[in-house]
Amino acid sequence: MAAPRSNREFIEACVKSGDAVRIKQEVDWENEAGAIVRRACELAAPAPFMEKIKDYPGFSYFGAPLSTYRRMAISMGMDPASSLPEIGREYVKRTNGEVVPPVLVDRKDAPCKENILKGADVDLCKLPVPLVHDGDGGRYVGTWHAVVTKHPVRGDVNWGMYRQMMWDSRTMSGAVFPFSDLGKALNDYYLPRGETCPFATAIGLSPLAAMAACAPSPIPEPELVGMLAGEPARLVKCETNDLEVPADAEIILEGEIFPDYKVEEGPFGEYTGYRTSPRDFRVTFRVNCITYRNNATMTISNMGVPQDEGQLLRSFSLGLELEKLLKSQGIPVTGVYMHPRSTHHMMIVGVKPTYSGVAQQIGQLAFGSKLGPWFHMVMVVDDQTDIYNWDEVYHAFCTRCHPENGIHIYRNAPGTPLYPFATPHERKYSIGSKVVFDCLWPTDWDRINDVPTLVSFKNVYPKDVQEKVTSNWTAYGYPPVK
Amino acid sequence: MNQWEVYVNDVKELAEDAEIELTIRTLNAGIHKYTYKRVRAQLSSDLKKHADQLQVRLGRGQLSNSRFSIKVLGEVQRMPAKYL
Repeated sequence: MAAPRSNREFIEACVKSGDAVRIKQEVDWENEAGAIVRRACELAAPAPFMEKIKDYPGFSYFGAPLSTYRRMAISMGMDPASSLPEIGREYVKRTNGEVVPPVLVDRKDAPCKENILKGADVDLCKLPVPLVHDGDGGRYVGTWHAVVTKHPVRGDVNWGMYRQMMWDSRTMSGAVFPFSDLGKALNDYYLPRGETCPFATAIGLSPLAAMAACAPSPIPEPELVGMLAGEPARLVKCETNDLEVPADAEIILEGEIFPDYKVEEGPFGEYTGYRTSPRDFRVTFRVNCITYRNNATMTISNMGVPQDEGQLLRSFSLGLELEKLLKSQGIPVTGVYMHPRSTHHMMIVGVKPTYSGVAQQIGQLAFGSKLGPWFHMVMVVDDQTDIYNWDEVYHAFCTRCHPENGIHIYRNAPGTPLYPFATPHERKYSIGSKVVFDCLWPTDWDRINDVPTLVSFKNVYPKDVQEKVTSNWTAYGYPPVK
Repeated sequence: MNQWEVYVNDVKELAEDAEIELTIRTLNAGIHKYTYKRVRAQLSSDLKKHADQLQVRLGRGQLSNSRFSIKVLGEVQRMPAKYL
């Protein structure tokens, strides 16, 4: 099965496998669509494809595109029943392979150019921008999208998923954190020069393009999409600037970021499951051109309590990228996993504990990397603990992590305004704190006399007894174990 | 009559019977609902004093019980002239 090349192919694949439902009745863009998506996320239900939107004939919504591992497998062209470790191995294999550069296509071959609004015709309200959660500071144009920019000196392209709120018909405001690629470019280059930064927002991307925009990979996103898909991403030139955008995207917004003019943004329901970051003056995007496909589908991610695609995909890619980083440094890791229910705040690292201090070494590398601002807890367990099994991890944490010697705190680290636990001051200045939970038996303990023996079925009984009991299990009168 | 909404951290920010600047969003039905503008305005807790109505939300989106009538005196352009 090939990876879907567009949002449309992805919807078709999901409907076919039972992982999306077509909703024929009219849905209100004000709260109702958002509420459907939220409920679908909380029930891990099929993704809603809403084909009729109040006030917006011809447009549709696709919600919760990647909020289950089944849909993530479909997005990669895999069997929907693939397990998480299988999907992870495939992601690592593809992203360690040959770079696949994008191809530039002609405008006539780019569906996103089927409708073009410029000048006085530009009005974001012509798009079905949803009010995702009641009480949000505005209607959010960008919840599952890519903001495309290019570094003015280095020329490297960045696709980032920076949320964007519609402020008025031509203006959006968004949360761009100072440690992000775009935040650094704005503060280092554009603000001192007083120049505007060209941008394009692509909405309704292929699922792998969205995955690339969300992933903290060092590989440029257009190449990353090609590597994940196994074929080049199709890009097309913008109408009003030199940026290149996915040709098959549903909607493209082109414009400029004003580095020295900010308008209010938020509050917004966030991936942590709270409205945390305060309404504040944030980065302002001015829209100069809108292009979109006929019968365009707007994608909606509804962030809130687990689990939505922000948590699921970010956890997935952060964990795998950290695993690659740690292995590149020779750390004897056996696996890295972030449970989506941690809202990508806790990294669980499995390691062969062959030397002292390895948990702190992992924490320092993880927090000191570009990935670091997005999580604040690293829990290190040994290679006998199944990192995907929360019961085992939780047991290791509660029994092996010494309350004094096993908890290591790092202060004044980068953070985000979205941390629910952060003080108002920390939120304002993106200040964080980090913690390592070392759940390894100390290497200077005697392995025979000091390290406790794990008392479990698998660990304390001889193999022949285990086999006898498991083979006789139903004969004892128990139902079969799945 | 127009319906407007404002976000504040504290309702005390909304001084009555004085000209104040506010960022308000329209609640009028239609495709432009929830778009913002910056305005000079006068408020009153007497809901009949001005023709337009203003409802209030607090810092994390909670709807306040406070209601005002509002008279929009004019729009305020905050955007630097170089961007207009």
